[in-house]
Formats: sequence, structure tokens, C-alpha cells
Amino acid sequence: MQNVYLSVFFLCCSCLPAFTHAQKINLMTSLPEQYKSYEATDRLDYEGEALYDYINGGAELYISYGLKGMTGCKYNGENLPQVTVEVYEMTTSENAFGVYTQSRDKEEYDYGQGSQSYDDFILFWKDKYFVIITTQKSTPESRDAVRYMAELTDAAITGKGEIPAIIRELPSEGLAPGGFLYFHHYIWLNAYIFIADYNIVDINDQTDAVLAKYGPADARCYLLMVEYPRAEAAEAAGMKLKEKFAPELTPDNRIIRLEDNTWFTMKVKENKLCAIFNGDTREQVESLYISILK
Amino acid sequence: MESISRRELLKRTVVMAAGSSLLLNRPITAWANEKEATAKVVLIRNQNLFAGGASPDPAICGQMLDEALCNLTGKKNAREAWASIVKPTDVVGIKTNAWNGLPTPPELDEILKTRVQSAGVKEENVSIDDRGVKTNPVFQRSTALINIRPMRTHAWAGVGTLLKNYIMFAEKPSDYHDDSCASLAELHDLPAVKGKTRLYVLVLFTPQFHHLTASTFYEEFSWKYNGLAIGFDPVAIDSVGLRIIEAKRKDYFKEERPLNPPAKHIALADTRYHMGTSDPAKIELVKIGWDEGSFV
Repeated sequence: MQNVYLSVFFLCCSCLPAFTHAQKINLMTSLPEQYKSYEATDRLDYEGEALYDYINGGAELYISYGLKGMTGCKYNGENLPQVTVEVYEMTTSENAFGVYTQSRDKEEYDYGQGSQSYDDFILFWKDKYFVIITTQKSTPESRDAVRYMAELTDAAITGKGEIPAIIRELPSEGLAPGGFLYFHHYIWLNAYIFIADYNIVDINDQTDAVLAKYGPADARCYLLMVEYPRAEAAEAAGMKLKEKFAPELTPDNRIIRLEDNTWFTMKVKENKLCAIFNGDTREQVESLYISILK
Repeated sequence: MESISRRELLKRTVVMAAGSSLLLNRPITAWANEKEATAKVVLIRNQNLFAGGASPDPAICGQMLDEALCNLTGKKNAREAWASIVKPTDVVGIKTNAWNGLPTPPELDEILKTRVQSAGVKEENVSIDDRGVKTNPVFQRSTALINIRPMRTHAWAGVGTLLKNYIMFAEKPSDYHDDSCASLAELHDLPAVKGKTRLYVLVLFTPQFHHLTASTFYEEFSWKYNGLAIGFDPVAIDSVGLRIIEAKRKDYFKEERPLNPPAKHIALADTRYHMGTSDPAKIELVKIGWDEGSFV
């Protein structure tokens, strides 16, 4: 099942027409002045750190993924809940995908190159853009407007983004649906499990990192894979992780049992560091470890 | 110790013989310092708070606040309790939180204002504000502050807290964003607020325990907890709120799902800034009222 899931994921990410150039969309003109009883009341236009003015500290999430700017619009109507369109432009499509993986609780493909639809909001990523369309309250009118704006924005972004190459290196067997996060700021290291409150594996703007969930919820283990610019950097990060996390690891004792009876292992392979946390059994960790080495 | 890994926590857990899964959801415990000081936090809940509809019942809000304050101060009645918080000569700023998705309920802001006035403070000497605190004349000449805000998950600080609620007093709020807002406790040393806060009220009426994006409130990820946590130590109150949020996440997701990023600023307010205690063992938690699903 998981193999099927990952295949569908990659298929959906690649089935849109390819664009080789970066595309700037002008949402100020793409988003309508009016839709049914809704009227555009506030145009949103923020660049870089000016986003603090809009969402204060929440802006750091987008800044950590190389935010270029955000455009959008608020729609209001008499006795209608507000509808807000926010389009975040990131420096690369990989970063747009990364922000999307931060926000993802399920995996759908109704909009863009991956989306999530709920009663009162739709999220999707496409090209270099991460799009959020929300309403304050779900009503038939606001749901219709949210869907319309999602379709409109999706159509206005005609480019196609690439997903980070490191995602393709995740073993598909046992991968939880929608269960991986792409990032390159150490703050996001603890998205699924508390690993450390500091940069224990030297993640930075020059590294690609992915954290992935494997196995069922009641026997979950987590794979951290970090790709460094050079093998030396991977080796240094591996040494640091071993020293801080598992000094007892040796070539003859490469999978260890921790104090909470979970299993751990790690491996540096060329310019990549892989670590498996919270293994339910030694066999589970061994199996995933072997998959990584392939 | 200010930085910690999962492995170090696991080793400490064994030493402390505590429940490992709970501890790992709450690394705050293992960071706490060794000082003896304790803090009292009063958590009050009322099952009927929303019985009348979507908004909290103002009468119940008032009762909850008064009862909790009497317990916190040890006073016999609300009049005495409020009189112990502010004097008639005080100029009082009520620092609320106006975040569009989950603001401080206006009912609570107004009740606080009424109670402050009932303690003898003149109407012109009380003001409720959030984003305008730096230019608000009452806040500028304030002698006392009351810090009130709802708790919710936050995309960069882990959770929005009483500690974080003073960020609008900063000249440049983004100066406090480094390392997932690790230095938020420093806000409480700003001249505009230092030594002025008389009461902290953490609103847990409908906390948000999870979010998908930074700018949106998710009703799906909030629940009617119907609670208020009050006290004089914001670190202790925030750490109680954090325990509730983390317990709710575990209950909802059915697996470990730590805050992303961790709310390290609460623990650091204790261990780095010595502003209060984040260690549950050193917090006297008094629970009043509805207990079902309290998580603490």
C-alpha cells in the first residue's frame, strides 16, 4: 500500500505541464474584485520580513523556507464570513513543497501539486508557491468562495515545481501516508518526535533534510535523512550525533536499545547522514536500515 | 542545562524513575533548576461556560475569575481579593491579545476592567490594549499591568504564552524570534513592564492544540476546555498550559506528537532567566470545578 502511495505521490507531482523558467504571477490582477456577494476589501502584499506586520512571529515559518513575499486578498460580504487568500512565494519550488509538508495532515491532489481540503480551508503547493485559502466560518457561501478562489489561484499559477531529490531516496516500504517533512532549518527537527532542542546534526541552508514516519501509529519509528554539500560535513555531523546521542555505537553494535526500550541506529553514507529513532523492534530498525543502504 | 537531546532526557528519566513517555512529551521537566521556590497556579473550569451558545457566559466568566482569585490570594471574598491586586491610585494596563483567530474573549477583558474599577481605580486610569500598548497613554503611565491571553500553538514559539504576550512592548518584536523565541523572558525586563505585573490570566476556554499554517485559527484543532489558569508566576502558569496542550495532542493524535517547534522559551524562562518555575514538582496546582478531561 505504501509503495502505491509513494508512486501516486510522485506521479501527481509530475503530471502537470513542465515549465523551465520561474514564473511570477500577479495576484493583484488575478484575484477578482468581486465574487457573487463577496467583495475584495483588503489587498495583501508583503515582501520578506515585512510579513511580520501581518502574522508577527508566525512569519518565521515561511522565512525559514526562503520566503520572497506574500500576496493575497481578503473578501467580505454582508452577513458572510470573511474569506482570505494568501499566496506565499518561496525562493524555490522545493521550499514551497517544504512549507506544504509542514502543513500537511493528509495527502490529496485536488489542487496544485498536492493539497488538503477541509470544510473551512484549502491548502496547496504549486511551483514556488504555497497557497492558503480560509474562511472564518464554514457556510455554503463561504465554502463555495473558498473552492472558487482555490481553482482560480491554481489556474493562475501555470508553472510546475520540482520536489526535493532527497524525498525520492526515502524507502517506500512502511512509509506512513503523508508522513514526511522536508526542511533545512534545525528548528523543524522535532516535528514528529523530540530529538533535540539544538542543532544536533548541523542542519543549515546548505543542507536538505527530511524526517519521515514509518510503521503503524502504535509502533512508529522515525527516519531522519540529511544531505550535506560535502561528505566531510556529513561525517562531522555523524560524529557529533554519535557523541551526543549514542556513543556506544560500534561497527559490531550498530543498532542499540535505548533507555525507553526503543531501538536506534545511524549511518553516514557519502554526503548523507541517516538516523532511525524510536524503533519498536530491532527487526524494524534493521529492515529500514537495510533499505536505506540500497 | 539549556540544551538537551532525547537521549539525555531518556537517561535522566531513568534516574528520576518517572514515566518516560510523559517526560519525553514534556522535556520541560528535566530542564528545571534546583531552586526551592514554588509557585501557585489556580486552574478553574466550568462545564456550563458555553451552555448559552458560542460565546462564554459573562456571569460565569466573572464567577470563575473571582473564585480563582480568592483562592490564589487567600482572601475571603472577591472585593478583598481584587483590592489586594490593585490600589485606587494605580494606573492599570490590561494587556490583552487581539489575534484575530483566537483573541482574549472580550467578556473577560471587560470583567477585568470592571473588577479593577471596583477596587477603586478610576475609569480613565484603566485601559485594555494589545498592539497599541507602546503608544497608549494609560499604558505609558501605568503603575500596574494585568497580563491576559489565550493559549494556542504557535508556528515559531511552540505555543503562544503569557511570556510571549508582552512582545508588543518591544521596539522590534522580531528581535525576540531567534532560536524559536528562546529569549521571550527578556521582554519582562523591558522598562515599560518590569515589576508592574500584578496578575497573569491564561485563558483556556477554547485552546488551539495544533495548527497547519501560521496565520489561521483552526476550529477543528481547538476544544472547549472551559478553563482559566491564574497566578503570579507566568512561567508556572504557562508550563501548566503547555502540559494541557501536549496531553490533548497525545489524546487526539494517539501517538507522540511534540510541539513543532518545542516551546523551549518556557523552560528557558526558568533555567536561563530565573523568572519563575517550570517544574511541575515545584508548582502548587489548585484545581477548582469541572475535572473531567482536565489533563493535569
